[in-house]
Amino acid sequence: MSRVITITSGKGGVGKTTTTANLGTALAMQGLRVAVVDADIGLRNLDVVMGLENRIVYDLVDVIEGRCRLRQALIKDKHLPDLCLLPAAQTRDKDAVSPEDMVALANQLRAEFDYILFDSPAGIEAGFRNAIAGADEVLIVTTPEVSAVRDADRIIGLVEAFEKGHPRLILNRLKPRMVNRGEMMSVDDVIQILAIDLIGVVPDDEAIVTATNRGEVAVLERNSLAGRAFFDIARRIKGEKVPFMVLEEQQGVIDKLFGMFGRRPRGSER
Amino acid sequence: MPNLIAIKGSKDGLRLQLDEAADWDDLVAALRGQFSQGANFFHGAQIIVDIGERALTDEQLSTLLALMKQHGIHPESLASTTRESRNAARSAGLAARTLTRAPEPEERGDAGFITRTIRSGQLIRHHGHVTVLGDINAGGEVIAGGNVIIWGRVRGIIHAGALGDRTAIIGALELAPTQLRIADLIARAPEGGSNKYPEIAFIENDQINVEAWETYRK
Repeated sequence: MSRVITITSGKGGVGKTTTTANLGTALAMQGLRVAVVDADIGLRNLDVVMGLENRIVYDLVDVIEGRCRLRQALIKDKHLPDLCLLPAAQTRDKDAVSPEDMVALANQLRAEFDYILFDSPAGIEAGFRNAIAGADEVLIVTTPEVSAVRDADRIIGLVEAFEKGHPRLILNRLKPRMVNRGEMMSVDDVIQILAIDLIGVVPDDEAIVTATNRGEVAVLERNSLAGRAFFDIARRIKGEKVPFMVLEEQQGVIDKLFGMFGRRPRGSER
Repeated sequence: MPNLIAIKGSKDGLRLQLDEAADWDDLVAALRGQFSQGANFFHGAQIIVDIGERALTDEQLSTLLALMKQHGIHPESLASTTRESRNAARSAGLAARTLTRAPEPEERGDAGFITRTIRSGQLIRHHGHVTVLGDINAGGEVIAGGNVIIWGRVRGIIHAGALGDRTAIIGALELAPTQLRIADLIARAPEGGSNKYPEIAFIENDQINVEAWETYRK
């Protein structure tokens, strides 16, 4: 049974594309057939993050408008034979496709892949609606900032209104030291507001920036903390029980990371 | 003033029922009073003006529309049993609904009960009392004609007594709102953290006061 998962956030710049690339790669590393689809038509960058930009011939809109076959538009990853990218069109905009087109596309991809990940554009308009149209489930990415959390809250409301079930949360770019100093929202603070299940916490990691700039994906690099966090999330998506990563030298956060699937303590700081 | 105007929620939107037997001028006066007390309640709502069996002249209709426009209220349609009124509505560019004299389908009672988190961008509007089992997140809003009780944490905006009832109260397990509004008054939460115990907001001496539930109940 294939699963179609959309990664979205509301706010831009919180790491949707990085998350999509890393989760797609991590799932493919475990021997699964994975397609990552860039649904950000007109502002594509999943190809850049994965270092596949120079291999694009056809794109998503070409497939939908029948100018090529799906197979022709799919680009094989540099490292993993089971991972494919369907790039967005760069010279078109959101109006080039409809939600029905996206559902049809998702169903076409189901025949060939175990996991299909859609990278959603920021915002709550047509592009977002297209991106979730074909989804079986939705992952929400946020960073521990009030603006990002506010937008995530808005998006969760919309995802629920579109009857896409209960989305799960990825908290990206957490800085444990800042949390300990009380300068950043903690995992608990965010969960208390959004009230949805957490599927992973990704620590802030410079390795993400350097990997992205080289067109590589952090999860392939053993020594990247963020890469390991993404790998764990991929395993949780598959249904494995993976304990939350202990963000070592920073004590205090550990308890919070573990406490969260049980009964949540009432927030006491502030 | 006897109840010349009734406000009911229905599946199509808010139904503004105007007494069909009352003198037209009294009705207009009552409407004017209602709108100036509770214009915020009607903002952005789908409003069906239900005039029952009253036959409305073009002139009366334009008075009504002008009054609504003056308060920034947009009617969605006019519901009437008479063809004359419906035609007047259509010629004024307003949709018309045929009202049958059959008893109204059972509408929701005078209280709304909601069991979910109200998230940013979501708005609950109800003519009566509202109870929410869940949080009101920042960017979320509850507008009620009556009292509002939130069994959860309030970070967004609550407007109780939005039709002008200054005796309305707002209660919550934790009040950390963006704003509280009761009738025509607006209060901003004080800077700094919220109290972690249940509180009640009410109007006293022309301002909104917030008190711990334990104090208020005495």
